[in-house]
Amino acid sequence: MPLSVSLSIEGDTTVIDLSGELDAETAPDFHQTIEKAAGHGTTTIEIRMAGVGYMASAGLRSLVFAQQKIADNVTIKVVGAIEPVSRTIRTAGLDRSIVISDE
Amino acid sequence: MPSTTVIILDADPAPPPELLDALRTMDASLVTRTLTELREGPLELLPVADVLLAPAESDGDAVRMAVRRLRRWAGAPIVVVWTVTEFAALEEHVRIGHDYLVPPFLPALVGARLHSCSERAGLGRTLREADARAELMGYEKELEIGREIQAGFLPESLPVPDGWEIDVRFRPARQVAGDFYDVFEISRGRRLAFVVADVCDKGVGAALFMALIRSLLRHTAQNSGLQHLVAAGRAGGSRRIPVVGATPLLNAVTATNGYLTRNHLRQGYFATLFFGVLDPLTGSLVYINGGHNPPLLLPADGSPPAALDITGPAVGVLPDCVYTLGYAQLDPGDTLFVFTDGVPEARCPNGSFLGDERMLELLAGPPVSGKDVVDRMDLAVREHTGTAEQHDDVTMLALHRPRTARGPYADGTGHQVVA
Repeated sequence: MPLSVSLSIEGDTTVIDLSGELDAETAPDFHQTIEKAAGHGTTTIEIRMAGVGYMASAGLRSLVFAQQKIADNVTIKVVGAIEPVSRTIRTAGLDRSIVISDE
Repeated sequence: MPSTTVIILDADPAPPPELLDALRTMDASLVTRTLTELREGPLELLPVADVLLAPAESDGDAVRMAVRRLRRWAGAPIVVVWTVTEFAALEEHVRIGHDYLVPPFLPALVGARLHSCSERAGLGRTLREADARAELMGYEKELEIGREIQAGFLPESLPVPDGWEIDVRFRPARQVAGDFYDVFEISRGRRLAFVVADVCDKGVGAALFMALIRSLLRHTAQNSGLQHLVAAGRAGGSRRIPVVGATPLLNAVTATNGYLTRNHLRQGYFATLFFGVLDPLTGSLVYINGGHNPPLLLPADGSPPAALDITGPAVGVLPDCVYTLGYAQLDPGDTLFVFTDGVPEARCPNGSFLGDERMLELLAGPPVSGKDVVDRMDLAVREHTGTAEQHDDVTMLALHRPRTARGPYADGTGHQVVA
């Protein structure tokens, strides 16, 4: 199942909206978007994942990649992830550097 | 035999009517393109053609660049340059290897020349396909070599202590894998170390990091100074019993995490892993679960499995993070089932997952043997996947302590009678 990725700016937040499946095939699209978002220079990057039904480890790697690309003083938020997806993020321990929120 | 396809270069001057008539008479299919379209246009619009028909007035080098681009994506046409009066310009083209047509443009003459060009172009395309096939086979062969080398990073044989059974199933989704397992002795053979790990992502990148992570873990664990064999127990807990093998375990995981975060953070590769150290005499287990799917401890009496939850994050993500130790006990008849996400996330052709609930159903009841558990789960994964492509590597390790074990503590008589 393909992934649709959109990028927008809302005030001081860069919003990446994902829907579909985030796996080894689709993660490269997300990587490209992260690189673009990293260049925006906003203080927060919000990754909206409510439409992501499944995230494989390649998707987790994208989040680690995002942490590397995006400046330390920028907050990365994962918003609206369904329980299995947020559990995957928490199990790997990525919730220590990425904020996970429901809304 | 398909008819000849001719690209007519949309340039000034246009081909004379007699030449166009001759092309129509020989039933050639004609496409018109400008030089700019051929050199810069989208790849999917590049035509596959036998002949590129250009006026002698066109720039020889520019035509050559266009043909070079066509060769890579659609097969190279033979360039045929025509003229009515510009013979000096025609000579320039012939010098760089282009074919030519001059009046009279009689259908039979034009047809014969273009047919021969078309045969040459066809031969060129066949050669190109053969080259591409050979190249692909070369890659396949390299990947096969990669697979063989990677197999050398898995244990050749499993050191199974007396009174225990270890069963492993390892099915990579592709030729090279990101999953791995390892079993080896530490602390002068007094402890059994076992690892099940999943390097994120797939393919060659994951495989390279698998080799690195496996080597760092094993090397550090086996070379942790023996003077540190006895480590303090769970830090900060009420229990401060010295645990043999805990130091190599902590050292291995912490050092590997340190190495990866110091040297490879920007590449974004990491591994989730379960690293256990077993005392084969007592069945006591000390472990680190670094962000891995919790292994399931299946009790001998068939009561619900206990999950060995995470004790730290995945390895290679966070610099200077703290890993704590987990403790468990394997009594006679118990089985510890360690697996990677390829098991619960096995997908059937319509995309649904095997799932945690189904896994627990399949694992219900007292385990007969480790082999039985692994066989049952592997069959379930394969049946669930069915005709769908296997998406992820599947790795399982079952550590079983049989009731009728030969071990000194296991049958309730051996050790005690001797003592």
